[in-house]
Amino acid sequence: MAEKRITIRATRFDPDKDRAPRLQSYDIPFSDDSMVVLDALNHIKSHVDGSLSYRWSCRMGICGSCGMMVNGTPKLTCNAFLRDYWPRSITVEPLQNFPIVRDLVIDMESFMHKLKSIKPWIIRKQDYPLGAGEHRQTMDQIDEFRQFSECINCMLCYAACPVYGLNDEFLGPAATALARRYNLDSRDQGVKERLPVIANSEGIWECSFVGECSVVCPKGVDPAKAIQQTKLDTTMRFVLPYGNREE
Amino acid sequence: MARGWWLRQRHYFLYMVREFTAVPMALWLLWFLVEIQRASNGPKGYYPHSSPGFVVFSVIVLGFALYHSYTFLSLAGVIIHIKGVSSRLIVLSQFALWFVASVVIAAALIGFAR
Repeated sequence: MAEKRITIRATRFDPDKDRAPRLQSYDIPFSDDSMVVLDALNHIKSHVDGSLSYRWSCRMGICGSCGMMVNGTPKLTCNAFLRDYWPRSITVEPLQNFPIVRDLVIDMESFMHKLKSIKPWIIRKQDYPLGAGEHRQTMDQIDEFRQFSECINCMLCYAACPVYGLNDEFLGPAATALARRYNLDSRDQGVKERLPVIANSEGIWECSFVGECSVVCPKGVDPAKAIQQTKLDTTMRFVLPYGNREE
Repeated sequence: MARGWWLRQRHYFLYMVREFTAVPMALWLLWFLVEIQRASNGPKGYYPHSSPGFVVFSVIVLGFALYHSYTFLSLAGVIIHIKGVSSRLIVLSQFALWFVASVVIAAALIGFAR
């Protein structure tokens, strides 16, 4: 029986040689039903063309580094099975809405800056001394923010967001979801430090609730929900008496 | 970003339809303001527009308004967070409130018209 094969069309772009990205086709063996797009890229790099550049690390949907456009949809390539596309060809492109560094590698600088701006760590007005023991939380308190803590910073939500595509100053889905994760944490006291970033004109109010960020999220974080609930919260803080009380 | 980005996916297209519904509704409301101004001298001598073209326009706008309301209320479950209450129940209660409000307003309008 003839060996099953599949065509992968991958973006190639060398900033020193190419004026614009182009697609290059690779015909590779599809030997195992458990093969994912990342396996196909690794095969190309190992056996066909060692110059193909892309990011990856864990191969198990945890590190968030192998996000790319697969047939026009943002996906973790370690979680995109070839069997779902075969016998059609698969087009693999870098995440849209980001500048390309080379081939399938995007420039993440803008996202890293946004991530840092929302201070994704627990902020205390006074440090909790080590000698005071654990800072305990009930399961209910953990459940308040657990969903939003699942974010792996894969940036698929940014690639799916047309608002970010039109305005790259927009804080965006993942950063807002993480801001909410810390704002909802009972140990955190940093809401007022994050508010100037999340509630400004390039923050939550730029979002027009397309909702595609939540559709493509591989971890079920639902950033659209985080943004809309933050809109409601900040409005309540503004409207209600004592809304800006010290937390 | 390409101009036709919203045609690339069904989800994007439906989003654009949802946003677009605001335009005909705004036009209809502008007309409504004009009618209020026309009626400012009292019921004597006031006749509302009843041309076929306007009736057709109103029916189309009603369709847009219903679609906009449907999407708005469906998303309420995502926005409103009440501890111990499921999103589905929140959405259903919004639709029930919509229905009750529509019946009450319709009854009031019909009552005034008589």
